[in-house]
Amino acid sequence: MLKNIQEKIGYLRETQLGSFIPVLLALIVIWIYFGIKEPVFLSPRNFYFLFMQSAVVGTLAVGVTLVLLMGDIDLSIATVAGVCAAIVAVLSTKMGVSAPIACLAGLGAGAVLGGIMGTIIAYFRIPSFVVTLAGLLGFQGLMMKILGIHGAINVRDPFIRGLTTTTLPDSIGLILAAIGIIIFGLAIWNNRRARNAKNLDNDLLYLSIIKFIFFSTLVITATLILNAYRGVPLTIIILLSLTGFLGWLTTSTSYGRAMFAVGGNLESARRVGISIEYMRISAFALVGFMAAVGGIIGASRYASVSFNAFAGGPLLLEAIGAAVIGGTSLFGGRGSVWNAILGALVIGSLGNGLDLAGARAADKLMFSGAILLIAVTLDAVTRGGASRK
Amino acid sequence: MNNNNINPLKNTSSEQTNPIHFSAQGIMKKFGGIDALNDVNFELRRGEVMGLVGDNGAGKTTLMKAISGAQLCDSGAFFIDGKEVKINSPHDASRKGIQIVYQDLALCENLDVTANLFLGNEIRYLDNLKIIPRALRPLNHLSMEEQTKAALRKLKVHTITSMRTKIAFLSGGQRQSIAIARATKSDSSIVLLDEPTAALGVSQTKEVLQLVKRLRETNHAVVLISHNLNNIFEVCDRITVMRQGENIGVFDTKNTTPDQIVSSITRGE
Ligand SMILES: Nc1ncnc2c1ncn2[C@@H]1O[C@H](COP(=O)(O)OP(=O)(O)OP(=O)(O)O)[C@@H](O)[C@H]1O
Ligand SMILES: [Mg+2]
Repeated sequence: MLKNIQEKIGYLRETQLGSFIPVLLALIVIWIYFGIKEPVFLSPRNFYFLFMQSAVVGTLAVGVTLVLLMGDIDLSIATVAGVCAAIVAVLSTKMGVSAPIACLAGLGAGAVLGGIMGTIIAYFRIPSFVVTLAGLLGFQGLMMKILGIHGAINVRDPFIRGLTTTTLPDSIGLILAAIGIIIFGLAIWNNRRARNAKNLDNDLLYLSIIKFIFFSTLVITATLILNAYRGVPLTIIILLSLTGFLGWLTTSTSYGRAMFAVGGNLESARRVGISIEYMRISAFALVGFMAAVGGIIGASRYASVSFNAFAGGPLLLEAIGAAVIGGTSLFGGRGSVWNAILGALVIGSLGNGLDLAGARAADKLMFSGAILLIAVTLDAVTRGGASRK
Repeated sequence: MNNNNINPLKNTSSEQTNPIHFSAQGIMKKFGGIDALNDVNFELRRGEVMGLVGDNGAGKTTLMKAISGAQLCDSGAFFIDGKEVKINSPHDASRKGIQIVYQDLALCENLDVTANLFLGNEIRYLDNLKIIPRALRPLNHLSMEEQTKAALRKLKVHTITSMRTKIAFLSGGQRQSIAIARATKSDSSIVLLDEPTAALGVSQTKEVLQLVKRLRETNHAVVLISHNLNNIFEVCDRITVMRQGENIGVFDTKNTTPDQIVSSITRGE
């Protein structure tokens, strides 16, 4: 009986829509609960801040999903974000480098740091857990060194600040939303037609329609709510574009296939000729890059780079928690970068709602812990259901 | 042109069979002090299933690994259609049409049927645009799915309806079918099956044996390793017996009894 249910949930989670459902339900429950308890929670203004607050965690969560897919983990993401943010801050405010170039340097640094850790993991066959833990410690030190004795640098550069303060005009936001919806709809329709033409089994028509309606409603509602306050933030567009690219990379290229194969059955991946070393190095470099993006967004949002905002706080655990809450397996081989964003929203909403409700830090931590525990348990249970058959 | 080997009731006397397609000669392999393979000769014909039997540790898997390039032998030579070939890696072997299905399957449970069939060898768009790295060219999902369907249909596997089913949800027999389909999808002429029925129940074993017969009909040279002599006698045309790293002899299934094979396995007669 229990096994049967496990199997059903396991099966559900393997489908594309099904993997969205648990995290989405969690999100809806949280929103309804806080919406009733603290009506302010559902105001456009609060939503705007909710999205912005979740942006840094979301970026890191999307990044770390890449290595989670391969059955690895990166514990250094928050500190890499910190180091890169510090590099950008020092270059642009102290050394007079123009801000865009400073940002590029920061992004490059992130990729290099990630790539170095990936190389060590790949060639010395050390578990990623250990190597990135060393990275976590080492980069904390590095960040302190870069920031100097004050431990914080203010960032007032208009370009960097603009990354999180700019919002799109209402009309542009709506046009982008419309374009997104049209592309999504055409993709579904095209795919259905091509499958029919080739005599391949199709999803039930009403499922495709539900998928489309669901997606359009989500996009339009979000756009309208954001427009009701300040408009769609540039940050969200950046994050969605990067996630879109990584989503395509993981699901629609040989590279992505190889990631899932490495996470699902390393030996099998090796036998078909996938270079495990190349996969590890490049994936960790990508994670480092995404960490750097998160670092720059953070620097822009807080208008400063401080040790506590990145390395000292809960950022690392929130990011990994977001990925797992989104349904990405810690055991490797299952997950999606899009779900990581939903996971980040769950964590963000929880924190935001509890703040509004006047909860203390202690309660917030315990709530977050409980949610994460539920997500991980669900992960372990459904994994058992799927592989025991 | 080769009607005579499609007929399963064919007379196994040598003048009606295909010429030798593959042969291994004088294969030696030592593991420390153990002679895992000692001067083994081995030959295969197309459209024929060769049973390979022997006690645990007789060297069956080692021989298969040598032929498939997974583990190099110390000395010996391989010939395909009379010409000597070098097999130094699995890649070499598969380029020459040799495919192996491992005892432990080696499928990715988290990927679907199509993805497993094409793993490491995907069909992509823009494949002639060399500036885009190979790994980043977009996958042609539908072509792959279509070909997967065709490959399974060719093997008469009808129990798998959706090519988008994850391997985790398939039975052992179905998984074995997919592993075999993967091995025979490309232009392979030789398929090595190492204990494909070891973990299967009665009906699933039957499914797989059916598949082995299909491979004979599609003019493959098939090697079937099994400890179950019933299975061996059901599908094999000839049987090679190995004992302590040596080839004891090759028997025509038609003119042999299981008892003879057993005594050959245990006493080397
Ligand atoms: N990698 C290895 N290192 C050392 N010894 C090995 C290795 N592989 C095989 N052997 C030895 O070589 C001999 C032949 O082994 P092999 O696996 O080929 O037997 P087998 O006929 O396949 O047996 P089984 O029916 O149990 O699968 C055995 O004595 C085995 O212990
Ligand atoms: Mg063996």
